[in-house]
Amino acid sequence: MDLPGPFPVGRYARKLEEEMRRRARVSLIGEVTGLSRGRAQAHFELRDGEGAVPCAIWLNELEKLELPEGGLRDGSEVVIGGGPDYYRGSGQSSPSFCFRATQIRLAGEGDLLARLEALRKQLRAEGLFELQRQLARPALPKTIGVVTAESGAARRDLIAGLERRGWRGTVVWGFAPVQDRRAAPAIAAAIQDLAAQPRVEAIVVTRGGGSLADLWAFCDETLCRTVAMLRVPVVSAVGHERDSTLIDDVAAVACSTPTHAAEAAVPLDCVAARVALERSAAALRRAADGAVRARTPHLAALARGPGRALRRERLALNQKTREIRAASARGIAERLDFQRRVAGVVLERAARRAAGPEMERRRDALRRAEVALRAHEPQRTLERGYALVEGPGGAAVTSAAAATAAGRVRLRFADGGVGARVEEEEA
Amino acid sequence: MTEKPESYEVAVERLEQIIDRLDSGQAGLRETLELCREGRELVAYCAAELDAVGEGLKELNLDELAARLEGSPS
Repeated sequence: MDLPGPFPVGRYARKLEEEMRRRARVSLIGEVTGLSRGRAQAHFELRDGEGAVPCAIWLNELEKLELPEGGLRDGSEVVIGGGPDYYRGSGQSSPSFCFRATQIRLAGEGDLLARLEALRKQLRAEGLFELQRQLARPALPKTIGVVTAESGAARRDLIAGLERRGWRGTVVWGFAPVQDRRAAPAIAAAIQDLAAQPRVEAIVVTRGGGSLADLWAFCDETLCRTVAMLRVPVVSAVGHERDSTLIDDVAAVACSTPTHAAEAAVPLDCVAARVALERSAAALRRAADGAVRARTPHLAALARGPGRALRRERLALNQKTREIRAASARGIAERLDFQRRVAGVVLERAARRAAGPEMERRRDALRRAEVALRAHEPQRTLERGYALVEGPGGAAVTSAAAATAAGRVRLRFADGGVGARVEEEEA
Repeated sequence: MTEKPESYEVAVERLEQIIDRLDSGQAGLRETLELCREGRELVAYCAAELDAVGEGLKELNLDELAARLEGSPS
């Protein structure tokens, strides 16, 4: 062993004792645990998330401090003043180390806030504030978990909030004490148990208002780290102010009341959603009906097509007939023949176009048109007693002057022609 | 039936797209009827989702939920 010594241990213990007692006196803040009172001293551990120190205070000094009744107890946050102390022991008694407190006061709001700020800074630096906020929150969860006190207004308010939203799904309660610092492990356990249930789609952690000391459990480092790492979104509604506790920082959403927490856990207002859905259904019905109706005139026009075509042809035919009637006798036969051919073609085309269920009606119309046409044939005119006067070349003679000039003409009757001589003008 | 929507919000988003498209008047007859059919399916899905959380609030304790899950094969 290549070290200085060996020294007698008692001498070393004395040196250590002197060294310890020379160390600077400081004040510490933490939580009291394992408090016990002996005959002369009170012993406890002062602890936080990172570690602990064994502490002792002489009972006579503790009494002089006049702490409130029950102020120094397990779980209370305290600030102690003092320094490290090493008792070197003796030939018979055991050595011991402690932080020798000479002052103790309960931690105030300011102390807690300072600690909270330090912790907040640390968790933010680790990126733990972002994890929950990045989780997708379902608009319409069917099952939500709730961590709260079994008896308390928060529970009632949350249910009322959910009901107001028209949401009547499943609530799974994870009841836990929510009052003091020691509640933190129970709260964390309840949250983890709920998150482990596959059906739980969101978790609400809630309790009513209180002082920061009352809400201190929700600033617990382990609890907040647990929440930050969950894959299920957590909605916090602790106290009546947002962002007062550390859990608000790590949660997916922080709310000021259980009613708001209900809205954050079920983002969809089911009452409004039903109305909107009915509106959408009506819009779809309108669109479907409208699509067919908008095209109906076109379809109807197509359906009416043959009838209209026939009517148009008939009008055209009547027009031609009138023209024929007005036309001179000259060339009447040829023109009529031509017109008949045209009419025939037109009628045939119309008849073809008229094919369909209304065929019979259209056929009647065609027959009527033919009868009307025949009434205007020259042969029928001759049968009624008229005669056609033709000149020497067979051309129609259409005036008295032309007849006189021709001298001889031919009269064509219905049953044949006769020659005739023009003798004199009629007076 | 086309594929079941991923979630209520996805279904509603698609439904809004469909109605916007129909309202634009740019869809032809075939597309309109196809969109209406898809829209009706989405409405039916959303209505079923709302019905699932509309029957009556159920309250369970954690251990009751665990017991229920163990009891059912799902």
